[in-house]
Amino acid sequence: MSSTTAIGGVRASAERMGGRSLSADSGQLGGGPDRAESQGRARLIPFGGGKGGVGKTFIAANLAATLARAGYQVVAVDGDLEGANLHTAIGVRRPRRSVADFVSQREEDLQKLMEDTAIQNLRLIPATRPNLAHAQPSHAQRIQFIRALRQIDADFVLLDLGAGTDVTVMDYFMVCENGVVVVAPEPTSIENAYSFMRAAFYRRLRLSMVSHDVRKLVGIAMDERNERGIRTPYDLLREVESLDSAEGARFVRSMRAFRPRLIVNGVRSAADIKLGFSIRSVCRKYFAIDVEYLGYVNHDEAARASVRACRPLVDTHPRSNAAIYLTRIARKIVAQDQTEEAR
Amino acid sequence: MKPFSEQDHYEALEIHRGATAEEIERAYRMALSTYAEDSLAGYSVFGEGDVAAMRERIELAYRTLSNDAARQAYDAELSNERAVAAALADAPELAESGARGGASPDPAGLDALDEFDEESGEFDGPRLRRVRLRQGIELDEIARVTKVNPTYLCFLEEERFGELPAAVYVRGFVMGYASCIGLDAHQVAGSYMKRYEEKRGSRKRSLFSRH
Repeated sequence: MSSTTAIGGVRASAERMGGRSLSADSGQLGGGPDRAESQGRARLIPFGGGKGGVGKTFIAANLAATLARAGYQVVAVDGDLEGANLHTAIGVRRPRRSVADFVSQREEDLQKLMEDTAIQNLRLIPATRPNLAHAQPSHAQRIQFIRALRQIDADFVLLDLGAGTDVTVMDYFMVCENGVVVVAPEPTSIENAYSFMRAAFYRRLRLSMVSHDVRKLVGIAMDERNERGIRTPYDLLREVESLDSAEGARFVRSMRAFRPRLIVNGVRSAADIKLGFSIRSVCRKYFAIDVEYLGYVNHDEAARASVRACRPLVDTHPRSNAAIYLTRIARKIVAQDQTEEAR
Repeated sequence: MKPFSEQDHYEALEIHRGATAEEIERAYRMALSTYAEDSLAGYSVFGEGDVAAMRERIELAYRTLSNDAARQAYDAELSNERAVAAALADAPELAESGARGGASPDPAGLDALDEFDEESGEFDGPRLRRVRLRQGIELDEIARVTKVNPTYLCFLEEERFGELPAAVYVRGFVMGYASCIGLDAHQVAGSYMKRYEEKRGSRKRSLFSRH
């Protein structure tokens, strides 16, 4: 966050909770409705991961609820027009509004699409009932949507994304440099997560380049079977530097700035937990992507029960193992946010 | 970040220049599991021959850094290289950052995840499980050390008290389990057995009240 108002907003909330309300024991979450206190723009956190069914929505909904219960002003936004169900995970069964109204230009003001939820401090922008003929927003609408997201008056805006790596998902994932990637400890999920991170990485690099020729070069590198033999970002960097040294420096800066955060969901063993570290290592060595391992959430029957009850786990089973792990992750997000603020 | 071929031993093992012997050992074991033939993290990424090359690189790094004399010689060599590079580039900060290990990645330790873990209070089954997982220890490993049937260890974590043997055995299981995951066995057993007695007691009472 760069604006001073935003700093005020988050700090006010953080002081309100004394930095301690998010205890490991999620039964002790404090907080109160102080909507007036959050001023200015929010910290945006997108949740992607490539594969469907790995728990993106579950994690986004529960982190949103955890942060809200701790006293932060939170807005959960459903970015998945083709598979909207963040509202269900949060417990809003029949949303009245939808991002679809924004896409179809029935409503220009994103703020007016917000609904209150049963959880204090947590509001929702659902994405139900899309126009099936034109579900996806246009390029201009995507830009407009992201701009509007940045203007939301809250501490945190959590953006739940759909599966896959289409342009809408990728653009929304780029709202910040450290979006969250959710993986399950399964080969299918790992494979898609790598494609997802690589897609985000190259898209980001291409956008940050100024010269047309260099952009074209990045485009070539995005094709894994390209004939110029560019296989890794390091190969690409060498080519960029030989074309234009200023672009080379920009390339390195952009490469370093991209730091996706990883959550492993549904862990059952210590090996599953270590998987996060292994993914981090592989990303560094093979893709030059500096992934941060944000945490893990264990496989928990309580999670399944909460999904069936259409409510966040941190509400239905606040003392369950998975809820404790989720709270841990939420605390880390808050701490990182404060560190970034302090910079 | 650098291409793998240009990484020094510390970067290859993802540790900082001042890493202790224990950190080196842990990073090495972690790297071996990451770059194993059947590694889940390598799925769809590792090409043919990649794993062998990677492991060779890791072994070399480990052999050098786990031997005090070899490590000292290697460190001296690294400092020299940096000094030369800095002199050539006329950038003294290069040499400095090398000495501090500033450019190296974080240690690959498992602790980094849990800097906010400050649980207190009683030790129940789920908490024991959390501690165990955080340490990266599988139930089978505890079973091997304690010689306790893994099914019982699982019941301990799940607090299926009715399916566990007599209290005196349970106490022994808990103490063995706690020592394996680096906790104070007596403290944990005291706390866990209090729960056990309470739950068992209430179960007996409810059986009585039904008849």
